Amino acid sequence: MANQTPAVVMDNGTGFSKLGFAGNDSPSFVFPTAIATKGPAAGSGGSGSGRPAVANKPSFLTGGAGPTGHLSAKRGTEDLDFFIGDEAIAASSGPGYGLHYPIRHGQIENWDHMERFWSNSIFKYLRVEPEDHHFLLTEPPLNPPENRENTAEIFFESFNCAGLYIAVQAVLALAASWTSSKVTDRSLTGTVIDSGDGVTHVIPVAEGYVIGSSIKSIPIAGRDITYFVQSLLRDRGEPDSSLKTAQEIKEEYCYVCPDIVKEFGRFDRDRTRFLRHVVKQPGGREVSVDIGYERFLAPEIFFNPEIYSSDFLTPLPVVVDGVIQSSPIDVRRGLYKNIVLSGGSTLYKDFGRRLQRDIKQLVDARIKASEARSGGAKSGGLDVQVITHKRQRHGPWFGGSLLGQTPEFRSYCHTKAEYQEYGPGIVRRFALLGGPGGS
Amino acid sequence: MLLLDYQNVLIQSVLTERFSGAPPVSIDQTVSDFDGVIFHISTPDVKTKIVISIQIRCYKDLVRYGAEEVLNREYGPYVIPPEPGYDFSIQVDLENLPESKEDREELVKKISLLKRNAMAGPFEQAYQEHYHLKQEAAKFTSEEAPQGVREGGEVKAIHYREEEAIYVKASHDRVTVIFSTVFREETDRVFGKVFIQEFVDARRRAIQNAPQVLFRNDPPLELQDVPGVKNTGTGDIGYVTFVLFPRHLTPQRMPDVISHIQTFRDYFHYHIKASKAYIHTRMRRRTADFLQGKQLLFIAYIVKLAANQCAVLRRARPENEEKERKTASGRTFKVGS
Repeated sequence: MANQTPAVVMDNGTGFSKLGFAGNDSPSFVFPTAIATKGPAAGSGGSGSGRPAVANKPSFLTGGAGPTGHLSAKRGTEDLDFFIGDEAIAASSGPGYGLHYPIRHGQIENWDHMERFWSNSIFKYLRVEPEDHHFLLTEPPLNPPENRENTAEIFFESFNCAGLYIAVQAVLALAASWTSSKVTDRSLTGTVIDSGDGVTHVIPVAEGYVIGSSIKSIPIAGRDITYFVQSLLRDRGEPDSSLKTAQEIKEEYCYVCPDIVKEFGRFDRDRTRFLRHVVKQPGGREVSVDIGYERFLAPEIFFNPEIYSSDFLTPLPVVVDGVIQSSPIDVRRGLYKNIVLSGGSTLYKDFGRRLQRDIKQLVDARIKASEARSGGAKSGGLDVQVITHKRQRHGPWFGGSLLGQTPEFRSYCHTKAEYQEYGPGIVRRFALLGGPGGS
Repeated sequence: MLLLDYQNVLIQSVLTERFSGAPPVSIDQTVSDFDGVIFHISTPDVKTKIVISIQIRCYKDLVRYGAEEVLNREYGPYVIPPEPGYDFSIQVDLENLPESKEDREELVKKISLLKRNAMAGPFEQAYQEHYHLKQEAAKFTSEEAPQGVREGGEVKAIHYREEEAIYVKASHDRVTVIFSTVFREETDRVFGKVFIQEFVDARRRAIQNAPQVLFRNDPPLELQDVPGVKNTGTGDIGYVTFVLFPRHLTPQRMPDVISHIQTFRDYFHYHIKASKAYIHTRMRRRTADFLQGKQLLFIAYIVKLAANQCAVLRRARPENEEKERKTASGRTFKVGS
C-alpha cells in the first residue's frame, strides 16, 4: 500500500472531462474538454527570429488549423500559453484567446490540443508525475484503432507513463452498475443506454466486447430536453426563459411519469404540483418562473418523441428492443436482463422503471404473438431488467475507478517497455479487465 | 502555464466549496500529489468535520529536520493525531470557521499548501542555521574562523523519492541545495541535459541575480561524507546544485524561495514533457505539410499524365486512319480499320 500510487482515471468526453484517482467514488475534477489558445489575432511574440516563417499556407489536413498555422513562426513560449477547462472558457471570453474543443463526437480530432490538454490536466490539476502512475483512459465504442495508437504514442512517448489501459466507455458503464444491489453476477454482458448532452447511444455488450453492428444512436439527449423546456416556458410567456433557467428546471424538477394522460389529470386536481422557481437575473433582480406540465413532459420526449421532434419518431424502448433483437440470439437473454443506464440525462426519477415497463410490454406482446402462432406452446418468459444505480452520472468514470483499484489492474496494463518492444500496435488489444478470469 | 502552482488544486476546490456554506456532505477522497505524496480528505465521524491527512515518503527525514515545528506553527489549532497509515492530519470543523471571507480563503490556501509546508521544514532550518553562522562568522576574519563556522552545518538529506533526494547545507555565506536526478529514459536524459545547461548559462547571460546552478554527474564535494551517496561512475545520476546567496536568504524572500525550489523537479519534468509536446506539434504539422505537398505533386502528376494521354490519343487517331505500310516487295497499301 505504501508505495502503491493510485491509478489515474481519465474519461475525456465530448463535453466534459472527468479526471480522478482510482478508488474514489467520484471524479476529482469535472470540467469542459476545452482548451483556449492564443488566437491568431494576437501577434506572435517571437520577433527577432531571423528566418522568415515558412509554409504558412492553410492546410486542410491539419484539421481546423487556425492558430496552429503559425507555429513555425513561434519562437517564444506561446505553446505554453493556454488554459483548459473552466479557465479556458473564462479566458476565451476575454481578448486574445480562441476556444477549441479537441474532441468531437467522442473522438479526438485535434491531437495537438489534446496533448496539451492532457499535459495540463496531469500537471496542473491532478498534480502527478506520470512516471509514477498507471493510467486508465476511455474511448467511445467504434473508436478506430489508429486513435488508440495515437493516444498510446502520446502517453508513452511524451509522458512516459508507467502503464496504460484503454477501456471502452460502455464496458466501464456496465462495471459501474455492479454497485447496484440488483446486480448479482457481475457479468459484462448487458445493454448500455448512454445519454449525455448531445446524443444518446444504445450499445449492446457481450462478455465485455461491444457488438458494433447493433449500436444505435438517437438524436435526442440532454440538450434537446433543455430546448423543449425552454420552448414550453416561452409559449407560456414566462418572465425568464433563458437556456440556463431551462436547464435548472430540467435538473431540479423533472421526473418521468407512468402515464401522461393520468398525470395531466393529477396536476389539474392537485394544485400543489405546480411549483415556482426563483431566478436571479444578472443585475440582482429576482423573478419567479412557474413550473407546470414540463415537469413530466420534458423527459417524456424519450418515450414519445413526436411531442418534440418531427423527424425522429421512434421511442427509446422500441430502439432498445430493436438493438437487442439485432444482436446474436445467444446473448439476447443477457442483454434484456441487464439494461444499464449511464450519463446525466438518465437521472430523472423513475426513468428506469418506465423504460423497464415499456420494454417488458414490447417483449411480452411478441412472446404472446409467437405463442399464438405456434399453437399452444408455452414460453418460459423473458426477464427484462433496467438497472438504476447511484453512480449513473459519471458511470464510465466510476467503472474505471472501480476496475483501476483492483490489484490485478496493473498486470492488464501495457507498459512502456512492452510498447517499445512491440510498437504502438500493442494497444489495439487489451486483456479484458474484470472479465472472466478476473475477480 | 510556465510555473506550476504550489498548492493542491483539489484540496483547494473541495474546501472552497465546503466553506462557502453549502450543505455538509460526506467526503472520502484519496488524492495524489507529486513525488508520491498521498492526501486523504474524509469526514470520518460527522459531516461537518473534515479531516485532511498527508502521507509523505520522507516524513521521517522531514521530522528530523524540524518539519513538525513548521507544521505546528502553520496549523496549530487544527492538528490532530495522525490517521493510521498517514503521517500528519489536520481537522477542520465547518461549524467553527473563521468569520470573514478573507480569513476563510486564507485558511483554504494554507491547507492546500500542506505538502509545501511539510517539505519546508529542512529549508527553514537551513535558513536559521545560516543566520546563526553568519553572526558567528562576522566575529572572525576568513582565515582564523574556527572549524565549525567555516565548514557550515551538516548536510540534510531528504529522500523524497525512491531514487532521488534533496540535500540542503547551510554555511555562513550561502545555502546550498543539491538535487539528485535520475532519468530512466534516454530521450529524457538528453532533454534534461539541455534544459539544465540553459539553467547554468542563464546566470552568465542575462539574469545576474539568479542563484548559481551547477550540474555534474558525480557527487559534488559537499556530499562527500553523506551516507547513501555513491559515485556509481556510470553517470546515471545527475546532481543539480543551487547556490543561494545572501540576497536570496533574506527572511522576506524565504517563503517564496522555498516554494520555488521545492517544485524544481516537477517543473523540470513538466517542461521536458511540454517540450516534447511542442516537438510533436511541429512534427505533426510537418507531416501534414509533407502529405499535402505530396498530394499536390500527385495532382500535378495526374494532370501531366492526362495531357500525355490526350497527346497520345490525338497522335493515334490519324495513325489508325491513314498509315501507309509497305509489303516485303515494296508495294504500299493503306491500313483501313
